[in-house]
Amino acid sequence: MYPSEKRSLYRFLIIYLLSTFILFALGAYIFYTYEKHHIFDQQKQLLNTQGLKLRHQLMILHKKLDTQLPFVVNKPYQSVLFDIDKKVIFATYDEIQEPNISKQYYIQDTYLVHIAVMDPYYLGVAYLLVRTLINQEKINDIRLKILLFMFVAGWFFLIIGYFLGKIFISPMRKSIEMMNHFIQDTTHELNTPISTILTNLELIETLYKCPAKKEMKRIEIASKTLSRIYDDLTYLRLNYNSNKEIIALDMLLLIQERLLYFSASIESKGIELEQSLEEGVIVEIDRDDAIRLIDNLLSNAIKYNQIGGNLSVKMWHNGVSIKDSGIGIDPKRLKSIFERFQRANKSEGGFGIGLYIVDQIVQSYSFVLDIKSKLQEGTTVIIRW
Amino acid sequence: MVKYISLFILFTTLLLSKQPINKPLQKDCLACHIKYSIPSEMIYRRYLMKYSSKDRIRQKIFEYIKNPNQEKSIMPKPFFLKFKMKESSLLNDIRIKEQIDSFILYYDVKERFFVPTSSLAQ
Repeated sequence: MYPSEKRSLYRFLIIYLLSTFILFALGAYIFYTYEKHHIFDQQKQLLNTQGLKLRHQLMILHKKLDTQLPFVVNKPYQSVLFDIDKKVIFATYDEIQEPNISKQYYIQDTYLVHIAVMDPYYLGVAYLLVRTLINQEKINDIRLKILLFMFVAGWFFLIIGYFLGKIFISPMRKSIEMMNHFIQDTTHELNTPISTILTNLELIETLYKCPAKKEMKRIEIASKTLSRIYDDLTYLRLNYNSNKEIIALDMLLLIQERLLYFSASIESKGIELEQSLEEGVIVEIDRDDAIRLIDNLLSNAIKYNQIGGNLSVKMWHNGVSIKDSGIGIDPKRLKSIFERFQRANKSEGGFGIGLYIVDQIVQSYSFVLDIKSKLQEGTTVIIRW
Repeated sequence: MVKYISLFILFTTLLLSKQPINKPLQKDCLACHIKYSIPSEMIYRRYLMKYSSKDRIRQKIFEYIKNPNQEKSIMPKPFFLKFKMKESSLLNDIRIKEQIDSFILYYDVKERFFVPTSSLAQ
C-alpha cells in the first residue's frame, strides 16, 4: 500500500469510526437514561406504596396513642419521621440528613428518597421519609450491556469501514499506479539518450578541442538537469520497496563531489559560492539517499537564485545548511512546499518533487529539517542529523 | 357511669405509662381533668395532629391557658357543650410553661416509638 493511500484510508477510518461512535454513544446515552429512569420509576412506585403503608400505620398508632408505638418498616426500606420543624421524631437508621421537602423523590448518596407530606400530622409527623438503596445491580447490568454492544459494534464497523475504505480509495490507487507506470516508461525512455549525450560530451571534451566551449557547457548543464530529473523520478518510483544500504558516509567528500557536479550550473549563473565544511563528519545513510538529499537542496538553491547571487554551503558535526539569495518562498506556502508536485515558481522547470523527496529522506532517517525564507531575500535550509 | 369509665381509663393510662406524672402537673392541671373527666390524651392528640412540633404545641397551649376561649381551643365547639370553658389560669407564666413542658413530656411520642423485632428480622 502506498503511503498516500494509507493516509487516506486512516483518515477515512477515523472520520467514519468517529462519526459512528458519536452516533452510537448518543443512542447509548439516550437508551441508558431511559432505562435508568425506568428503574427509578419502578423503585419510586414501590417507595410510594411503602409510604402509604407507613402513613396508614401512623394513623392507626395515632388513634390508639399507646405507651408503645411499634413502627414496622419492611426491609429494604428505611424511614424517618420529621415534625413540621424538620426535627426527627423517630428514625430506623442513624446519620440522618436534613430532608429536601421541596421534592417528592430525590437521590441522596446511594439511596432513592421519597418524602411524603403528611396532612393531618398523625403523631406530629409532618414529613415521612422513606428510602431504599438504588438498584445499582440493574444499572450496572445496563452499563455492561451497553459497553459490550459498543465493543462489538466498534469491531463490526471497523471491519466494514476497512472494506469501505478500500473501495473508496481504489480509484486513487489506480491513479497512482497509472502515474507510476507513466514515470517508469518515461524514465526508461529518457535514460538511454541522456547517458549517450553525457558520455559523448565527455568524449568530445577529452578527444577533440571543440571551439564552442560555451555551447558545450550549456549542453552539459541541460543534460545534467535531465539526468537529475531522471534520478528523482526513479527514486520516487522505487523508494517504496528498494533495499537501502546504510553505510558510514563521509559527508565532506559527498558535498564536494556534488558541488563539482553542479559547478557548471553555478558558473553559468555567475553565483558566488561560499563553503565552510567541517572535516570528518560521518553520517549513517544510504549513498543514493544522501545524493538525492544534497542534490535537491543545491539544485533548488541554484535554480531559484538570482544571476550573480550568493550560495553558502556550511556543514558542522551534526548538520548542514544551504543558503541562497534567491526569490524566497511565500510564508503562507512554507507548510505545503514539501507536498508532492508543489513548485515555488512555475517559471522555472521541474516537477515539484525535489522537496518532497528531501522531506521523505529526512523523515525516514529521523533528521530535523528547518527552513527559513524571506521573499526576494533568499532561503536557508538546515538539516540536522 | 361515663364519669367512672373515663376515670378508670385515665388511671389505667397513667398506670401503664412509663413516664411518671409530675406532681405539680397533677396538682395544677390533671386534678381538674380527672375531676371533670376532661380527656387530656385526646386533647394532646389533637394538638399533635394540628401543630406537629413541640414548640408550636407549647406556644398554642400557653396562649389558650392565658386566655381560654373557643377560638384558641384545640377542641371543637360541640366539646364545650359537654365541658365548660376553663377559667384563666392564676399561675404565673413560668409556672404555666413548666406545667406545659411536663404535660408535653408526659405524652411525648418520641420515646414510645420502636421497631418490632419481627420487622428487623425480615
